[in-house]
Amino acid sequence: MSQKKICFTLITILCFILLNGTSCAKKTDTGEDPKVTTLGSIEVTAELLEIPGEIRNDPLYDYAHVMKYRVLTIHRGALEEETLYVGQYNPAKSRSAAADARVVEIGGNLTQFRVGDIHRMALEVPIDDYYMGGIINKYFGQVDDPIYWAVWTNRVIK
Amino acid sequence: MMNLQKITLATVIVYGCLMGSWACGRGVSDPRVAQLAGEVRDKGWIVYTARGDNGTWDLFLMRPDGSQRRNITNTSNYEEGGPRFSPDNKKLLYRRFVKDTVIDHDKWGFQGNLMIADSDGSNPVQIGGDREYPWASWSPDGEQVACLTLKGIQVIDLKTKQIVRTLPRQGIYQQLCWSPDGQWFCGVANTRIMWTVVRMNAQTGKLNIVHEFQSCTPDWFPDSKHIIFPCRPSGQKGYGFTQLYMGDGEGKETRLIFGEDGYHIYGGALSPDGKYVLFTRCAQDGGGSEKSGAPICVMRMKDAPAAAGQSVALRKAHPEATDAPVLQLIDGWEPCWTYANIGAQ
Repeated sequence: MSQKKICFTLITILCFILLNGTSCAKKTDTGEDPKVTTLGSIEVTAELLEIPGEIRNDPLYDYAHVMKYRVLTIHRGALEEETLYVGQYNPAKSRSAAADARVVEIGGNLTQFRVGDIHRMALEVPIDDYYMGGIINKYFGQVDDPIYWAVWTNRVIK
Repeated sequence: MMNLQKITLATVIVYGCLMGSWACGRGVSDPRVAQLAGEVRDKGWIVYTARGDNGTWDLFLMRPDGSQRRNITNTSNYEEGGPRFSPDNKKLLYRRFVKDTVIDHDKWGFQGNLMIADSDGSNPVQIGGDREYPWASWSPDGEQVACLTLKGIQVIDLKTKQIVRTLPRQGIYQQLCWSPDGQWFCGVANTRIMWTVVRMNAQTGKLNIVHEFQSCTPDWFPDSKHIIFPCRPSGQKGYGFTQLYMGDGEGKETRLIFGEDGYHIYGGALSPDGKYVLFTRCAQDGGGSEKSGAPICVMRMKDAPAAAGQSVALRKAHPEATDAPVLQLIDGWEPCWTYANIGAQ
């Protein structure tokens, strides 16, 4: 193979990688949809800061797991806290599969909870007014902040 | 071919011997168990949920020794479960579900419709709509029920269907039960941790912890001072097994009633005089409501604490546990006992 051909091939591959990268970078998603913008009394975009403990994947039992978020944008509702403690129901399941006989109206397009990800959420507060079930709250006794209840959770891609 | 027949015959014989010895081990031919069966035979009736001939969950009555069993709902178009006799033993409260509903061991109190029938299952009446009156529990006079809702613990008059009063539920999230003397509620709550059995003053709403950690399905002793509940304690190897405990209402003392390594013990309920205890014994956690239940068992309370089988780990943790006679009956779940003569029809 001549040097010219090798150069041409390399440049083609480089262009493909660059173009592909540019195309991915442009694929953003604000997480907005008709559900997240209407359900709950509060709507925020927030970064998932911490999932204390392990997310349990136990088909026999259901839980809300309280996670720590940093608020980036408030879309709806009154909110003073910058840090939110949010109960997510059965977080081992994708949001679209989380609703059941106990919790009927929750959902979203998020498939997995990962620290550092950004979520657009419709919320209610306090959790006890909207959810009746087991709560894993590793912040119990550490913070007095109210626990929010995640009604709808969509993934945000920046 | 001859060899195959011999092998099959040998297998059947060995299986039969093993089953026979297992049955003896479970007490079928144990004279102590036979004595227990004779002792409880005429002590009223047990109502429980089990699969009917049509495959759906129905309500059944049987004598406490397992005799005179009969289906009292026999509905092929519905599933029924969670029966509770009224304090005067004249009525039966239970839930009815759409056919083929999977009855969730933790959510059944939220599922389906509340039903009230005569205590022999006749004259069933649906109370309210789907998912209404969740976890309904009789008041001492049988005129009211307490229900566990998101809005709180609601005391509802059964004649008028009006909410008489509401108490904050304070983290209680399932399995609400009103004490026979009317002074207390018990239930499962989120306190410092979830799966905590709590007691609440039915007048003031003051709440105290009875037992923390993986404890659930509490029910009252007839004295309204003690609570029976299953618990899967920490310190067991792997997932562990659920054992049956009793605690005083103030949460000062907890005692083992019965346990068996390899089985999860649920459905704890007392006879009306508190002398006997009912429970179910299930190889899978949850009690079996999603499938076909588990064997219902009867034991004398005076024999508690007790352990069955080898239960090496359990006996190590509870060296005081005896090898009590346990009468094993038919598969079911959520049994309830009355001494009233209601099943003679």
